[in-house]
Amino acid sequence: MTTREWLATAVLVTPLAGIVAAAVAPHALLSRVEIVISCLSAIAAAALAVVALAEPAHRELGRWIVVDPAGGLLIGVIGAVGLASALVSPQFLTARRGSLFRADRADRIYWATLFAFWAVLLAVPLAGNLGAAWLAIEATTAASALLVGFSGRPRALEAGWKYLILTSLGLGVALLGILVLQAAAGGGGLETLTWRGLPHASLDRETTVVAYVLLLAGLAAKIGWAPVHNWLPDAHSEAPAPVSALLSAALLPAVLLVAWRSQQALAPTIGEGTAGGVLVGFGLVSLGVAVPFLWRAQAWKRLLAYSSLEHMGVIALGIGFGGPLALAGVAIHIAGHAVAKALGFYAATPLLAHDPRAAGHSVGGIGRTEPTLGASLGISLGALAGLPPSPLFVSEVLIVAGGFQVGRPWAASAAAILLALGFLGLAHALIDTVIGRPRGRDRHPALGLRPVAALTAVAVPLLLALTAAALWLPDSAIVQGLVRGLG
Amino acid sequence: MNGIAFALVALGIGVVVVRRRSIAVGLVTAQALLLAAAAFGEETSFDAAVAAAALVLRGVVLATLFLFLVRRTRETRPVRAGVAPLARAAAAVGLALTLIWLMPPLGLDSEAAERATLTLVAIGLVTAATRRATLFQVLGIVLVENGLALAALSLPGTSSLAIEIGVAVDLLLIALVAGVFHERIFAEFGAGDTAALRSLRDN
Repeated sequence: MTTREWLATAVLVTPLAGIVAAAVAPHALLSRVEIVISCLSAIAAAALAVVALAEPAHRELGRWIVVDPAGGLLIGVIGAVGLASALVSPQFLTARRGSLFRADRADRIYWATLFAFWAVLLAVPLAGNLGAAWLAIEATTAASALLVGFSGRPRALEAGWKYLILTSLGLGVALLGILVLQAAAGGGGLETLTWRGLPHASLDRETTVVAYVLLLAGLAAKIGWAPVHNWLPDAHSEAPAPVSALLSAALLPAVLLVAWRSQQALAPTIGEGTAGGVLVGFGLVSLGVAVPFLWRAQAWKRLLAYSSLEHMGVIALGIGFGGPLALAGVAIHIAGHAVAKALGFYAATPLLAHDPRAAGHSVGGIGRTEPTLGASLGISLGALAGLPPSPLFVSEVLIVAGGFQVGRPWAASAAAILLALGFLGLAHALIDTVIGRPRGRDRHPALGLRPVAALTAVAVPLLLALTAAALWLPDSAIVQGLVRGLG
Repeated sequence: MNGIAFALVALGIGVVVVRRRSIAVGLVTAQALLLAAAAFGEETSFDAAVAAAALVLRGVVLATLFLFLVRRTRETRPVRAGVAPLARAAAAVGLALTLIWLMPPLGLDSEAAERATLTLVAIGLVTAATRRATLFQVLGIVLVENGLALAALSLPGTSSLAIEIGVAVDLLLIALVAGVFHERIFAEFGAGDTAALRSLRDN
């Protein structure tokens, strides 16, 4: 086995230790043991990400495992967000009231399902073929639905149920697309579905277009692209904050990577224009649907959920455009969105302790009553809005410029207008949340603020570093690797 | 294969119109067993035997789980669907005909298998969309997966056994998680009725 294969195996196996620990570790030590295992998992993920991104021209293309720059980027993001979610989970578990499960088992089940979710999530970018990627995505549904409904509250039950049914049906449609693709290739077993084999398979164009549309329409239900995004606002707002962060910052882009790989693998058969056009369509519709909701006064986590819809639309546009500028923007956008969005969700735990009304209503003036929490919320929302020097400002500029670069001026112009409108909506929410008039009189101590403040201190230099990286990335070997894909 | 495809569709239509959960569970289980018979009848290779065994196992485990849930969550009367049985059947047939009309040839072994696959997917989607009972919505997913299993059996050449077994395991996991939710929803609202969930919405 090569170093990359060893590292990939370590990335997949290490989180499984967290599931075992959830079953056998003494209750008093459970959180500490799980955090140690999460550190080991994150180290393995970071090592693989560094190896994949340091040598972007060198790719590992096996039947079952793929290691490439795009996968390396996602592995790094999933590893980092998974670690941060594990670090803030003890605060969530201490503050939780009630659960879907028996009280004496709830903590163990939480940790076991969190690690199961993390493990299958890490498998998605590493899957060497479309079938295995589908299996990993479907497996994320089972684990994450339990986590979405973890609180056992009626609204959480609704959110978890809706998520389970809608995404499972969507993935059924995606599987139909995979089967049509396999039929178009004349059978041939697993080899026809590998990322290395698909671009060279001899496929009928008309059938492949149908398969591609079915595949993307099905994956859209999981990515949360409009118009099949109905589960997203409920699931993000009802899930425990550490899980919301994993859902938004890691799951959605990981599934999006499979859509990206499918586009790159099938473009030689159906044409670059068709393959990219479907993604651009999903991107523009998602942006168009998200913007009105960003203008409405929303509960904090619900606002972040609609922001996820917007950002998944932006990434879809970047992938659909596909040139070096747009793909550099995509890489920065995935990383920047992960940092800012995860921070926003983690800040929800102390926010709800500080102002319980935040669960169902928009909040105001948090910076006046709890300045540290206000700073965390402000940095998260400012970065997500694309307020300079946020890396998301640079990435959005790169993606729009990329649209012009590849000859899609109308789509790029529409995207620019929608992004400006989205910015205005989020900027208004930013001002209101941080320095607006405080609403409600019963403000309490923001329990669980310390780890969020520490994560904010890490997030700020990370966001600035991403902004700086965006300046040299378009000409880098990493972007050349992204453009080249797996073909 | 034509006879089996016809029987699968007939059983699927039955799931759309029946009121009782246990009868619907019996119908989707019969579908799984028919699919297993088709897998075994096609050829006598090791792969075919494993695929058939996986389908039988999947069908039996799902039936056991669903019937266990039906027993644990006895309802005084079946949850009313928002749409009348004939209208549901008409919607399923209409969607199936639309899909068959829209889709080019899928490249499966026979035209009957292609039409039955698309019809079962349509029936599954309509079942999940028009039934309020939680268990029926899960059965909608199983119907879609049964249609996809038929497509996998009708692929030209070989298909990947590992992927097929993985799909069956994933479906079992989804059904298990749905079972956890179904029980909790029943405990919370006194019925496995998704209309009770929708009444929670305030916007």
